Amino acid sequence: MQDRIYMDNSATSQPDPQVVKAMLPYFIEQYAVASSQFSHTPGIQAREGLDQAREIITKKLNAEQESVIFTSGGTESNNLALKGTAWAHQGKKNHLVISKIVHNSVLHSAQWLEKQGFDITYIDVDEQGFIDPDHIREAITNQTILVSVQHANHEVGTIQPVQEIARICQDADTLFHIDACRSFTMLDLNLQTLPADLVSITGHLIHGPKGVGALYIRPGTKIQKWQHGGYHEFDKRAGTENVAGIVGFGKSVELAQQKHVDYIRGLQKQLMDGLIQEIKGTVINGPLDPDKRHPGNVNVSFSRVEGESVVLHLDMKGISVITGSACFSRSLEPSYVMMAMGFSHERAHGSIRFTLSRFNQESEIGRVIRSCNDVVESLRKISPLQ
Amino acid sequence: MDPDIIVDVIGETCPVPLVEMRKAVLKAEKGKVIEVKGTHPASKQEIPMAVDSLGLKLLKTEESDGIWHIYIRR
Repeated sequence: MQDRIYMDNSATSQPDPQVVKAMLPYFIEQYAVASSQFSHTPGIQAREGLDQAREIITKKLNAEQESVIFTSGGTESNNLALKGTAWAHQGKKNHLVISKIVHNSVLHSAQWLEKQGFDITYIDVDEQGFIDPDHIREAITNQTILVSVQHANHEVGTIQPVQEIARICQDADTLFHIDACRSFTMLDLNLQTLPADLVSITGHLIHGPKGVGALYIRPGTKIQKWQHGGYHEFDKRAGTENVAGIVGFGKSVELAQQKHVDYIRGLQKQLMDGLIQEIKGTVINGPLDPDKRHPGNVNVSFSRVEGESVVLHLDMKGISVITGSACFSRSLEPSYVMMAMGFSHERAHGSIRFTLSRFNQESEIGRVIRSCNDVVESLRKISPLQ
Repeated sequence: MDPDIIVDVIGETCPVPLVEMRKAVLKAEKGKVIEVKGTHPASKQEIPMAVDSLGLKLLKTEESDGIWHIYIRR
């Protein structure tokens, strides 16, 4: 068996060894609870590690001091953004706007709020996954609390026009939340020029640890604390901070560089071009313009084959990718993202997502294309689909 | 042929036979013989493909009364 090729970085990414190294002292020596300056020395040391990570992340976002709170990950950040702002405005406003292709943590939070009596407008996307900002403008009413959009989609990589949507929300005096879990450190996210009120980010998608994320909350934004207990995280999120994870998250942000993005974009082009050229009946899912697509995302459908068969056979050739096919998902439904983009069931079932990182090698691209070609050709020979 | 492990996927369709075969292969010790028996025609063709990808040995394939049996050495 050859070395494994991991191309499922939109699910999670390989922790950078430097991240793991930075975290280790916080398990072994500096394991105390991050405490105030009036506490014992180990607690103060842990606090320093936490504060330093917060500073790195705040600086990367070009955000205000004390505007970033740590959470257990992107899912919690998204839950807090939606539920926290909805409850903070309860009795005064009752409407939220989300796109149909947001991550499940936003979609299911919105659906839960709907059951609690809030009104939700679900915005359509086009066949490449783009939101028309005019649809957001038309959906906002004087009851709208929040608009939530995913910066870069997790399945097809579509980058939304967040700057334009932010201006629309600002003009309408409506809060704007961005789920930037896939885009943070990969795409420009400068909160001095982008007037977003809430931004969700996570560590494990950028070579940091799992179990740690953050939510940017623009100072003055009304948000109801959701997890009660102590007064952690500026009294917005109770619970002993995951100091080791937070330090690792900070380190992963510190290590992220533009040259990595450029490198990944090069791999993306090679892979996308190679699959199209080498395998007949391949269509690209998501944006065709690479500038409007997440640098690490390649999503294609191979005609006349089931995605889960391709995934299983690639796995047995040592390649890790995923599919939007129904059998692969825990819900047993085809990808809701692709259905919202107007795809046929066959196209969704045949979709394969490759998501790249800086740890992928150029040499891997050729092997992936050859393996896909072999698998698709073999499966087509026995395929009942014509 | 006496298999060490039997994977019964009779009545199951794609991709279940392949998934179960992979599960058995991952658990089996080196040298053990795995028999996969099923009825789905596409799986009968897909499993030998997977055996090849995994670098395993396909010992025998036989079929009777609509049930195929694939023997693999881990």
